[in-house]
Amino acid sequence: MRQPVEELIECYKNNLYAVAFNVCKNQMDAEDVVQDAFIQYYTMKKEFEDEQHIRAWLIRIVINKAKNLNRTFWRRNKRSLEDYMGTLAFEDQESENIFEEVMKLPEKYRIVIHLFYYEDYSTREIANILKLSESNVRVRLSRGRSMLKKVLKEAWENDE
Amino acid sequence: MTNKEKYKKAFSTLQISDSLSWEVKRMAKLKKRQKMKTVAAFIAACLLISISGSAAYAKNIGGIQRTIQLWFHGDQTDAILDIKNDGTYSIQYSGEDGTVEEQSGGGVAIEGDGSERPLTEEELKEQLDSPEVDYKDDGTIWVYYHDQKIDITDKFDNDDICFVKVTEGKETFYITVSKEGSWGFSGDKYMQPEEIITEPEEPETNSMSLDGEEETYSMNFSSK
Repeated sequence: MRQPVEELIECYKNNLYAVAFNVCKNQMDAEDVVQDAFIQYYTMKKEFEDEQHIRAWLIRIVINKAKNLNRTFWRRNKRSLEDYMGTLAFEDQESENIFEEVMKLPEKYRIVIHLFYYEDYSTREIANILKLSESNVRVRLSRGRSMLKKVLKEAWENDE
Repeated sequence: MTNKEKYKKAFSTLQISDSLSWEVKRMAKLKKRQKMKTVAAFIAACLLISISGSAAYAKNIGGIQRTIQLWFHGDQTDAILDIKNDGTYSIQYSGEDGTVEEQSGGGVAIEGDGSERPLTEEELKEQLDSPEVDYKDDGTIWVYYHDQKIDITDKFDNDDICFVKVTEGKETFYITVSKEGSWGFSGDKYMQPEEIITEPEEPETNSMSLDGEEETYSMNFSSK
């Protein structure tokens, strides 16, 4: 099946942007990555099983592209994470703290945490997307949670 | 409030630009990349060019402009290559429908001491004179290298991976192609699918050796 790219953009643009930002930690790079992913979808004519297949595919493409971008040594004048955070309208201080502490996590924990807590994927689904073993995903999730608990304290529940 | 609810509340503040839809359509239709982005030793543009010996030099703002012979989808055509001093380049050529197409790219090399420098003109030329994989709108997938055109649409294995070897003269390239749009090549051996599809934790596979040893390049998308 195929879905019009316009529909996908409306449905997933902010989710994909959040995924990309989670990896890139940079607004412009994250926007580029999301744009590239949709262009790839638009030009490839690949057939998908269902909408969830498309969603998972887009997320994987975004993560791969964002990782690639992180490895480039091509640097633009980038706005710092702190500056960008200053432009975000967090609902409260707790949200800002969570955002800030998540972004401090190592990338490999950050991605797993994001897919679990924001995209509601199971550890098995995350393993499929990231091409990792499920046990590896569980370990990363557990370590990421522990790190968050350590710094966020009562603002983060023990949900192991 | 659960952790998930708190997390979603925190990250729902991230909103992407509203112009995305229009940009995607425009970029896809123009089949050109908007920004110059490369990884080390990897040039985003997937054009194949061959620099003619009788290049015409002309000073241009910020770089040297020259007329070249461009390999594009197996056919050779005239193009203008503009190489800037910062390791970037742009190419203008006539597209299949006669319109003027422009493509750009660039790159940096990592020295032995870890410092970065822009790719030299020779390195850029070397990168541009390499195989290309094209995922066409009709669903077919082609490999191009100079005048060689190979339809690999039906050559993928059960994991949707295709291995292609192209040779011309002394040059041999081993190309690993994923049906999903990732591909990479090496002059030494086939890259493993995981090297081109899911990025490994350590970045060494995207590095370029400058001392003449194995060079591998991977790209996670096809620039059209």
